[in-house]
Amino acid sequence: MLRIEKISLYHFRNYTNQEFSFDKQIISITGKNGSGKTSILDAIHFLCFTKSYFLHIDSLVITNGLQGMRINGEFRTDKLDTLTCIIRDNGKKEFLKNSVAYTQFSRHIGQFPCVFIAPDDTELITGSSEGRRKFMDTIISQLSVDYLDQIILYAKILQQRNALLKQWHLQSAQDYPLLQIYTKQLQTIGHIIHQYRIDFCKQLATKTNEFYTYLSEEKEQVIIQYQSQLESASLEDLLTQNIEKDIRTQRTNYGIHKDDLDFELNGMPFKQAASQGQRKSFLFGLKLAQFFIIQAQKNKSPILLLDDIFEKLDESRSHKLIDFLVKQNAQIFITHTHIEQVKKTFKEYQDQVQFIEL
Amino acid sequence: MIFSSTLIENCVNEFSKLPGIGKKSALRLVLHLLKQDKNSIDQFANAMTNMRNQIQFCRQCHNVSDHEICKICTDFSRKKKQICVVESIRDVMAIEATQQYNGLYHVLGGIISPLDGIGPEQLKITSLIERITQEEIEEMIMALSPTLEGDTTTYYITKKAQHLNVKITTISKGVAFGGELEYADELTLARSILNRLPIVDIISN
Ligand SMILES: Nc1ncnc2c1ncn2[C@@H]1O[C@H](COP(=O)(O)OP(=O)(O)OP(=O)(O)O)[C@@H](O)[C@H]1O
Ligand SMILES: [Mg+2]
Ligand SMILES: [Zn+2]
Repeated sequence: MLRIEKISLYHFRNYTNQEFSFDKQIISITGKNGSGKTSILDAIHFLCFTKSYFLHIDSLVITNGLQGMRINGEFRTDKLDTLTCIIRDNGKKEFLKNSVAYTQFSRHIGQFPCVFIAPDDTELITGSSEGRRKFMDTIISQLSVDYLDQIILYAKILQQRNALLKQWHLQSAQDYPLLQIYTKQLQTIGHIIHQYRIDFCKQLATKTNEFYTYLSEEKEQVIIQYQSQLESASLEDLLTQNIEKDIRTQRTNYGIHKDDLDFELNGMPFKQAASQGQRKSFLFGLKLAQFFIIQAQKNKSPILLLDDIFEKLDESRSHKLIDFLVKQNAQIFITHTHIEQVKKTFKEYQDQVQFIEL
Repeated sequence: MIFSSTLIENCVNEFSKLPGIGKKSALRLVLHLLKQDKNSIDQFANAMTNMRNQIQFCRQCHNVSDHEICKICTDFSRKKKQICVVESIRDVMAIEATQQYNGLYHVLGGIISPLDGIGPEQLKITSLIERITQEEIEEMIMALSPTLEGDTTTYYITKKAQHLNVKITTISKGVAFGGELEYADELTLARSILNRLPIVDIISN
């Protein structure tokens, strides 16, 4: 059982100095727009992932006009762990578990799993492939530290290879043996990542379908198809055959950094075919599949951070969702602008809910 | 900081250009020097100018040296057919400190990283290959950092030396090849200068 029991925020978004204690399975956070609901969820995410769910630049989470920030949280599993993230005045970030600083932040990922469901997540369906790769990476990284290491390494090799291609117009930089080395390295790492993604997508497709039908009571199947250039040929062959193109465009055109996930409904691309409701069910299907896959592998339920989900789901679906999650013994954080609405939805679980009003 | 003397101010500014030295530390150092007698300051200043003006880089291995060829390269008791390839003179010092290695060195002056604008042509690779050919080197030990850049450089040099009759070994386990390379069995890993100790041991046997 994974629980967060306490969090203190110092200079984090709108919180200059505040502490919250959580003592129930379900925590309802209510308040007006801009009162700081999402900020609490993001702080929890920060402690689980060493970074914000929304902001890619760390310094942006620091309260405007102030310097440095600190988040401290107490997590309970079979023991109590204290996680601390500090950004110093000079911008340096430190991450500590039980007062011991990590030398590599990546070593923290996966120990305290959480799943965030946010209003902007439909981007996953309608947005660019980058978001879908990030979705895969976030989940698989929590399942396997090795995967995370490979992803980081791949990104480094890619950067070096692209830097070399950018300098190619200089006579002195036209070094084919060096380019070949980077190609070989991408090949080795790329295929490891590819295999991880194949395995993951199989699970994702099955589980998403299960939850999609459970939530929507629709009969049709959604199809999730993993798309990769590496399916047809080895990356080394692709890169070697297209070396002129890489040189011309000054970047690497083939590799797992071009992977994507295809979503289909009734044989049509999901973003065209699906209604609003289907889209929502599908999104929750994806997120619950994420929850389930992590739970199965880690043997503990990830913390669920549900941000404004009632705006996206009707009552019957919300009910089903909550039913499912409560049964899974997951700790659930849920935000809403109106406390009455939350009380209504959680009627049956009244004594399991803690209400925090901002 | 407000100074009543531009002489002090200049000196503080010079010190604060050093890595890891801020204005405050610089001022502390300058005030300390101010308390010393003039002779010792002359000595201090001369040591620095002489160091920079008279230092040479060994024509053979590119290590720092007081002469055209360094002490290590001219030492008769060292094995002349064995070269340890390192990134910088700091690595030479670290390996020397172990007293476990008795061959020669070759200082590359960096590792390959296009991202930082460092390509093979900026490193002492050509002279290394020439050395192996001319001096009939028997063993080349790659002692570069176990990072992607270190690996890339090791692999690059290995490729360039492939056709030569030299045995290539390395003290660091590759991160970017997964065990794919042929020379991987000879690898023994040194993740840091300290870890290199026993490895240099193995090498010298
Ligand atoms: N770095 C920052 N410094 C100061 N204030 C910030 C910072 N980042 C966000 N805020 C502010 O914090 C407040 C709370 O934001 P948050 O997103 O948590 O609100 P919310 O309660 O989730 O609102 P909504 O109901 O609209 O989703 C907002 O007014 C936001 O502008
Ligand atoms: Mg919000
Ligand atoms: Zn020398």
